[in-house]
Amino acid sequence: MAGGTIWKGSIHFGDTDVPVKLHAAIKEERIQFHLLHRRDQVKLRQQMICAYEKKPVPVAAQTKGFEVEEGKYIIVDPAELEQIAPESSRMIEVHEFVKTGQIDPIFLERVYYLEPDTYVEGYNALVTALQEMDVAGICTWTMRKRSYLGALQASGRILRLNTLRHGDEVIPATSLELPEIPLSEKELRIGSDLINQLAAPFQPEKFVNEHQKRLQKLIEKKARGEKVAVLRPRLLKPTASDQLLQALEASLKKVA
Amino acid sequence: MAMQGIWSGTISFSLVAIPVQLVKAIVPGRVSFRLLHSEDYSPLARRMFCPEQERMVPADEIIRGYEIGPDRYIPITDEELASVSPERSRTIEIVEFIDMNEVDPIYFDHPYYLVPLKGGEKAYRLLVEVMRRTNKAGLAKFVLAEREYLVAVKSTEGALALTTLHYSEEILPDEDISPREGKIEAVEKSRIKKSIRQMMADFNPGKYADARREKVMALLKQKAKEKAPVEAPAIAEEEGAGPADLIAALEEIMRQVKQNR
Amino acid sequence: MSRKVVEIAGRRLSLSNLEKDLYPSHGFTKAHVLEYYRRIAAFILPHLHDRALTLKRYPDGVAQAFFFEKRCPSHRPAWTETAEVRGDDGERLTACLVNDLETLLWVANLASLELHVPLARAASPETPDAMVFDLDPGEQADILDCARVALILRDLLSRLRLASYAKTSGQKGLHVYVPLNRQETTFADTKTFSRAVAVIMQKNYPELVTAKMAKEYRKGRVFINWSQNDSAKTMVCVYSLRAREKPVVSFPLEWGELESLAGLGDPERFQVIHSEAVRRAEEKGDLFREMLVKQQKLPHL
Repeated sequence: MAGGTIWKGSIHFGDTDVPVKLHAAIKEERIQFHLLHRRDQVKLRQQMICAYEKKPVPVAAQTKGFEVEEGKYIIVDPAELEQIAPESSRMIEVHEFVKTGQIDPIFLERVYYLEPDTYVEGYNALVTALQEMDVAGICTWTMRKRSYLGALQASGRILRLNTLRHGDEVIPATSLELPEIPLSEKELRIGSDLINQLAAPFQPEKFVNEHQKRLQKLIEKKARGEKVAVLRPRLLKPTASDQLLQALEASLKKVA
Repeated sequence: MAMQGIWSGTISFSLVAIPVQLVKAIVPGRVSFRLLHSEDYSPLARRMFCPEQERMVPADEIIRGYEIGPDRYIPITDEELASVSPERSRTIEIVEFIDMNEVDPIYFDHPYYLVPLKGGEKAYRLLVEVMRRTNKAGLAKFVLAEREYLVAVKSTEGALALTTLHYSEEILPDEDISPREGKIEAVEKSRIKKSIRQMMADFNPGKYADARREKVMALLKQKAKEKAPVEAPAIAEEEGAGPADLIAALEEIMRQVKQNR
Repeated sequence: MSRKVVEIAGRRLSLSNLEKDLYPSHGFTKAHVLEYYRRIAAFILPHLHDRALTLKRYPDGVAQAFFFEKRCPSHRPAWTETAEVRGDDGERLTACLVNDLETLLWVANLASLELHVPLARAASPETPDAMVFDLDPGEQADILDCARVALILRDLLSRLRLASYAKTSGQKGLHVYVPLNRQETTFADTKTFSRAVAVIMQKNYPELVTAKMAKEYRKGRVFINWSQNDSAKTMVCVYSLRAREKPVVSFPLEWGELESLAGLGDPERFQVIHSEAVRRAEEKGDLFREMLVKQQKLPHL
C-alpha cells in the first residue's frame, strides 16, 4: 500500500487544474542503533557544548551565525529567515514540459505518488497525454515552508512527482579532470565481449538486503549471550595495467 | 596519499579489480549556518553527554547498542559490525551488466562518482569505455556505513557514476491509489496536449536556481553591509598572564634586553 | 568566457575566466594570479605541504564579496589530495592539501587569492611546527610600530636562544615566527608561552604594545595576537597574495632589512608586490626555509 497522504494540492498549467494528494512511494527500514557509554551501557544524549566555556548550552541560548571569516559571524535571527520563507500555496505550478529522456537521472531526488482527488477524468486525461507525448512537466510547489522543484511524470495509470536537485547541486563529471588513457582495440573488444557475456535483464526482486538480515541474526545471537566471531575484510589485489589484457582474457574464458 | 573520499576500496568485474574511491556527486545547496552561544558567540560543538555521570563522553568510550527493551541494549562493537559482510565492505563486485533503460527511475536513490586510485587508472578507463560502447551498467551490492546497497555503476562523460538503488521491497505499491480505469475524455486530452505543445522546452537544470538559497545569501549580504560581524572570543583571554615563574623569568630577560638596546 | 585546459605531470586541469580582472585598479587578472603562483610555486609549496587549506575566494575581484571556505570544494579534480580534519565545532570536514603545482593552480583558478594554513600539519593537528606572534597595528599605529615591536621581540627571543623570522602580513602588520618542529611541543605550550611574552611586552612598553584583543586597548598600539597559536586558527601562508588594492604578498624580510626599513620611516616601503616577490625569492632563495627544518625547544623557565 502507498504511504498516507502527505500533502494536498493542485497541478496547474494553462487552463488545466488537476487536484491531487501526495503519497510516499518509498519506505526504507533499517536497524537503528543508539549510542551508549561503554562502561555502564547508559544511553547517551547529544548536547551542544560551548567551545570556550566547555559547558552545555541550552537551546534558548543558541543562535545561528554565518561564518564570513575565521571566527567572525553574521548573526541571523530566525524571524528574518521566516520572512524570506516561501509563501504557502496549494499549487503545483508546471512551467514547461520536456522530453522525459532529457532528464539525467542524477537530478532525480525523491519520488511521490499522486492520487487523483475529486476530478478523476482530468487526472486520467493528463496521465494519458503525458504518456502519449513521452514528456514530463517541470514544476515548482511549496510544501511545509520549503519550495521544491520537480518533474511530473506518468507511470502506468498514475502520476508521479519526482523532486529535482537544482542545477548547481550536481557536480559535473568533467570537474573530476580524469585522465585520458589509451586502450588497445583488443582490450576494448574483449572487455565488451565480457560485458555482453555477463549481461542480464534488470530484475530487482532478485536482490534483497542480506546484510540487514545477517545483522539481525548477529544481534539475536548476542542477545542469547553467544560469542560472535570477528571477520576481517580482505582487499582484492588490483589488476596491474600490464596484466589487464591477460585478466580480461582469463575472465572471458571463465564466463564463456 | 592522505585518507580521502567517502569510501575507498575496489570495484571488480569477473577477474579484473580496480582500486577506486567514492566521491560525492551532489553538493547540497542549502546555506549552512553555525550554531553559536548567544552570550559570547563561541561556536557550539556537538558532544555526547552521559546523563548518569553528567559529563561529556569522549569518542573512545562510546559504543553502539540495539534496544531490546526499555533501557535495555545489546552492545555492538565496530569490529562486530564490520564483520557482518566483510567482503562487501571493501569491494563493489559487479555481478551482472544491465541496460539502464530497463530501470524504472523510481529505483534511483543517491548518486556518487567513483574515481580511480593509483594503479587503477587504466582498468578504470577500460570499464568506462566498454560500458559506454555496450550501453550497459554494472549491478553490484556493497556495504557503506553499515548499510548494504544495491548499486548501478554506469559510464558518464569519461567517469564511473555510481547510483544507489532502492530494493524492490522498499517501493510501495501504487494500486490502492490508482484511479479506476475509465474512459478518457478525448476533448480534455487534446486540450491538455495542445497546452503541453505550447509549453515544450529543453531540459536545462541550470535555469532553475534555488530561489531560497539566493534569498538567504542576499539577506546575509545585506546584514554584512549594515553591521560588522561578531567575533568569537580568544580562548582563555580573560584570566591572568600565565605561570608566575615563566612571567618572572621573562621579566628578568626583558630587563637585560632593555639595557642592551 | 575563456577556458584553457593544461596538463601538468599527466594531470588535466581546466582553467577558466582567465581575463577576469581580480585587482581592477591594477589590471591584474586571473591569468596574472595563475602566473604568479606558478612562478612562486617552488617557494610556497613546502610551506603549504600537508596543511589543511582555508580558501578565501574573490570570484569578482578584491573589491567584491569573498567566500571563506574551510571545506575543500566538492567540485574538485579526482587527483586533489585532501585530509579529514576536525572543525572548531567538532564536525569532521574534508580540507584540501596543496601538495603540488596542479593543486596550487587549481586553487588559484578558483580565485582563492589568499591561502591560509594552520601552524600544524593535518596529520598532527595539535603539534604546531612554529610559534607565531601576529603583530597587528591598531588605529593610529602602523607597520613602523610593528617593526619596532618585532625587533624587541627578536632580541627577547634570542636571549632565550630562540631564532625568529619575520614576514610582512601583506596588510598592515608583521608576523614573527619561531620554528619549533618538535613532536613534544603542543599548542597549549605555544599559547602559554606566547601569551606570557605578549604580557611582558605590554608591561614594559605600555605605550607601544597591548596583549588584549579588545578594540579600546588597541588604539595607537600594536596588538600582539598570541591567540593565533591555536589548532583552530590559520595564518596567511608566506608568499601568498593578499586581497588588497594592489597584488601584494606576505613576504619574508631579513632582520637587517627590517631594521633599515624601520629607519627609513615609510610604511609603504615594507610592502612587497608580486613581481618583486618573485624576483627577490629567485635571487635570495626561501628566507623562510628554517621554518621547515629548524628544531628549537621552548625553554623551560
